[in-house]
Amino acid sequence: MELTRSEIIIVLGITALAFRAVPQLYFVGEKFPEAWDRLLRYLSYALLCGIIATTLFMKGAALERDMAPYRATALVAATVVARWTKSPLSGLIVGTLLVSVFSWLK
Amino acid sequence: MTFSSRFRQGMKAAIPVWIAFVPSSVAWGIAAQSHKLTLEEVLLLSAWVYSGPAQFAVLGPLAEGKSAIQVLIAGTLMNLRFLPMSTALAPFFCGVKRLPLLFSSHVVSASSFIVPYLQFQKERDSEAHTESDPIAKGYGNLAFFLGVGVTAFIVWVAGTATGFIVARGFPAGFEEPLKFILPGYFAGLLVVEMKGRMVPLICAVSLIAALPGAAVSPEWGWLATSVVAAWVGWSLEEWNLRAAKSS
Repeated sequence: MELTRSEIIIVLGITALAFRAVPQLYFVGEKFPEAWDRLLRYLSYALLCGIIATTLFMKGAALERDMAPYRATALVAATVVARWTKSPLSGLIVGTLLVSVFSWLK
Repeated sequence: MTFSSRFRQGMKAAIPVWIAFVPSSVAWGIAAQSHKLTLEEVLLLSAWVYSGPAQFAVLGPLAEGKSAIQVLIAGTLMNLRFLPMSTALAPFFCGVKRLPLLFSSHVVSASSFIVPYLQFQKERDSEAHTESDPIAKGYGNLAFFLGVGVTAFIVWVAGTATGFIVARGFPAGFEEPLKFILPGYFAGLLVVEMKGRMVPLICAVSLIAALPGAAVSPEWGWLATSVVAAWVGWSLEEWNLRAAKSS
C-alpha cells in the first residue's frame, strides 16, 4: 500500500511525538546513557551531512558534474564564514551570493 | 510563583531561540516551496513533525515521491535524538499528570530543550537546601518549559509559512540559490556547533561517502554510508575512552 505525502507526514509526526513523549511519561528518574546520547548525536550529524551532499551534488544516481564544483566552492565558503563569525546566517548569505553569481556567470 | 508568571519567564528566556528559529524556518519554507510542496503539507510538517533536521531530511525524498519507508526511516533516525532530550527533562516535571506531559512534549526541540534544561539545573543547584513542594515545582518547571517551547513552536510554524509565501514571489532564474539555502544553512549550523575531533571527522566522511553511496543506490546509499560513518566514529571513540580508562 502506497501512502500519500500527507499520510507519510502524519506517520512521521507520530514517531516524533513518541520519541518526545515516551521518556517523559515512562522514564522519569532514568538517566539516558551518555554513550548512547553521543551515538544519536553523531547519527544526526552524519545524516545531515549525507543529505547536504546528495542535495547539492547528486541528481538521482548521477553526480551533477557541471554545477558540483561551484556548489562545493559556495559550501566551503559558507562553512568557513559561519565558523569564523559563529553565525550560520552569515555563512548562508555568503554561500547563496556565491552560488547566485556562479549560476549567472554560467 | 504562578503558572502564568513562570510561563512569561520562559518566554523571555526563549527570545534567543526565536531569533535562531527565524532564518532556519524561513529557509525551510523557501526550500519546501522550491520542492513544490503545498502550503498545507508545509504547515503539517512544521506543526506536526516540528523538527528542522528531520524536515530537511525528508524534504527531497518526499518531493521526489520516493518510497514511504525511505522517508520514514530518514526522518525517524533524525528524530531519535529526542529520546535523550526528553529523558533529561523528565525528572524536572515531577508530579505533573500524564496528559499535560503528553501535549507539552510535542514542543521539545534541540533549542527549546537546552534553554529550560540549563535553567532547571541552575535552579536545582541554588535551591538544594530549601524545602519546596515537588509537585508545585514540577508544574512551575512545566510552565517555564511551555513558555520557551510553545512560543518557539509558533515562531517556527509562522516562519516556514512566511518563507513559503516569500518564495512564491521569486522570479524564474533563482533555482540555484533556492537549492542552496537549506543545505547551506544546515552546514553553517553544523560547523558552528562542532567540538572536538570526532564530529568534524564523521561529518567529512559522511559528506564524501554519501556521493558514491547515492550513486550505487539513490534511495538508500547515502543513508547507509551516514549510519556507518556515525557508528564507526562512535565505536572508535568508545574504544579510545575505554582504553584510556583502563590504562
